[in-house]
Amino acid sequence: MTGLEIAVIGLVALVILLIIRIPVGIAMMTVGIVGYASLSGIDPVINYMKTAAFWRFNSYDFSVIPMFLLMGEFASRSGLSRSLFEAANTFLGHRRGGVAMAAVGGCGAFGAICGSSLATAGTMARVALPELERYRYSGSLATGTLAAGGTLGILIPPSVALIIYAISVQANIVQVFQAALIPGIIGAVGYLMAIAIWVRLSPESGPLGARADASQRWNAILETWPTLLLFIVVIGGIYFGLFDPTEGAAVGAFGAALLAMWKVGFDIKILFDCIKNTAKMTGMIFLILLGADFLNIFMALTGVADLLSELAVGSGLNPYTILVLFLLIYLVLGCLMDSLAMIFLTIPIFWPIMAGLDFGMPENDLKLWFGILTLIVVEAGLITPPVGINVLIINHHAPNVPMRETFKGVMPFLASGVVRVALLILLPPITLFLPHLLM
Amino acid sequence: MTDMELRDSFGRLLHRFAGWFANVGGLLMFSMTILVVVSILGRALFSRPVPGDFEIVGLGSAISIFLFLPHCYLQRGNVAVDIFIARMPHAVQVCMDMFAALLFCVLSALFVWRMIFGFIDTVRYWDISMILGVPLWLAYPFAILSFGLLSLCCLYRASRIPWDSSS
Repeated sequence: MTGLEIAVIGLVALVILLIIRIPVGIAMMTVGIVGYASLSGIDPVINYMKTAAFWRFNSYDFSVIPMFLLMGEFASRSGLSRSLFEAANTFLGHRRGGVAMAAVGGCGAFGAICGSSLATAGTMARVALPELERYRYSGSLATGTLAAGGTLGILIPPSVALIIYAISVQANIVQVFQAALIPGIIGAVGYLMAIAIWVRLSPESGPLGARADASQRWNAILETWPTLLLFIVVIGGIYFGLFDPTEGAAVGAFGAALLAMWKVGFDIKILFDCIKNTAKMTGMIFLILLGADFLNIFMALTGVADLLSELAVGSGLNPYTILVLFLLIYLVLGCLMDSLAMIFLTIPIFWPIMAGLDFGMPENDLKLWFGILTLIVVEAGLITPPVGINVLIINHHAPNVPMRETFKGVMPFLASGVVRVALLILLPPITLFLPHLLM
Repeated sequence: MTDMELRDSFGRLLHRFAGWFANVGGLLMFSMTILVVVSILGRALFSRPVPGDFEIVGLGSAISIFLFLPHCYLQRGNVAVDIFIARMPHAVQVCMDMFAALLFCVLSALFVWRMIFGFIDTVRYWDISMILGVPLWLAYPFAILSFGLLSLCCLYRASRIPWDSSS
């Protein structure tokens, strides 16, 4: 059998295991181990397993993941979501659609620190939905805003998804963080514009809120400054090379722990809650990393990546056609699985193909640009019908709004997302400007 | 689902152990963040970082991550694709979930077996870190215990799934 045939059998087996609900990491590990053994014999695999897990987990660079997760856990416990939303609300609330805009602002800021779309949507829903209902915002605007707002965080560093992407394509984490910032901000601005247009077309869906006076605004800023400071120290420090990502994450986790202690006092139960949630996420991610390790060895032995790359180049298709095709695949996959799992599974196959195509930019730039596009689309999968996990979560918090209304409410945001992706595809410098500037 | 497992004493015991493992791992991870902060402060204020701090952080996080695995499993933290099988008859779902649990049980038992030999090798060849000379075998007992507990948890879950109506 040729390498390609064995690889195809392996991938089919992987898909079958995934369909019968074998956890992603275990499925990858099983196929990787069996495939490796079938190509090289049992002994090399058995030998490799003696130390593989240790060397995969013993990594200073990868310890950035649990540390950022810990930071997110601590930050979520410090009442941060409420103060961020209220701060945004004192500035925007009096405008038409302003409370929804404040929710977008809160989602973006909280998502940046928390790092999980689902947790952001859920947390901000608890905080912002009562306000949106109090000012009689239409159900579809309110829930659509929150479901879409939850997806903003993935691009605003520090985000675990960005780190995972960087690991998967062996890109520099700092540069990926830099590349993500402007597209992330464009995403938030695009959502604000979507709300502005919506309330212009249908003013009754986003009524005026209360106007805050200067002292209320000042108080709101005072309430949020430690969080903003922490964010600026962590991200600024990483951007300007004052410390590496792991150090940034450690500073963030430590600072967030202090912040939580200051806001709610020391409570051993909360500490262990944060630790348990971190353990759950970390265990999930590293099990997939370990599985990916075995799967990648197997795939490398088959040489399938080169074959696919040659195939793509030889197909004579326009590189941009292939890019858009990949992005569409992500949109579909987004309905089926977790975004981190999706990145782990697809990047080892998609990236070599992308790298073989000529987009007229150096490989490193291509890594950044492709990554940002991918992550935007991956997250869009969380709010696309028919499944949209974020929509389900919001629906759980707003039982009086039918799911159909929420999906309707998400549409303007999806449209703004499409505009954003098109803009980023046509103008790569938007993404690459910051990494080049700070290089 | 997990409530069901908390009803018999062996299930409670496994959950408790996995929880302790996770807590120890988390405290270790948190102490790593403190170590890094101290090192940064040392570097910034006295131009004296903690030497070889990245070696300790790497080793410490490896130990933490191993310790996290059983808790992650028991809390159903490992993501899977749910959408296809959720529409299948209950009996099919039970079979598939048992298969998943047993597969993971075998894999983690395989890691226990292999990592015992990895442990012996690492001690025998006295693998140590470059700067501080910390012996790397330190992580292996944690890894072996964690994979051992994990494999027990999988076996236990496989035995409970047929009686677990909510799965």
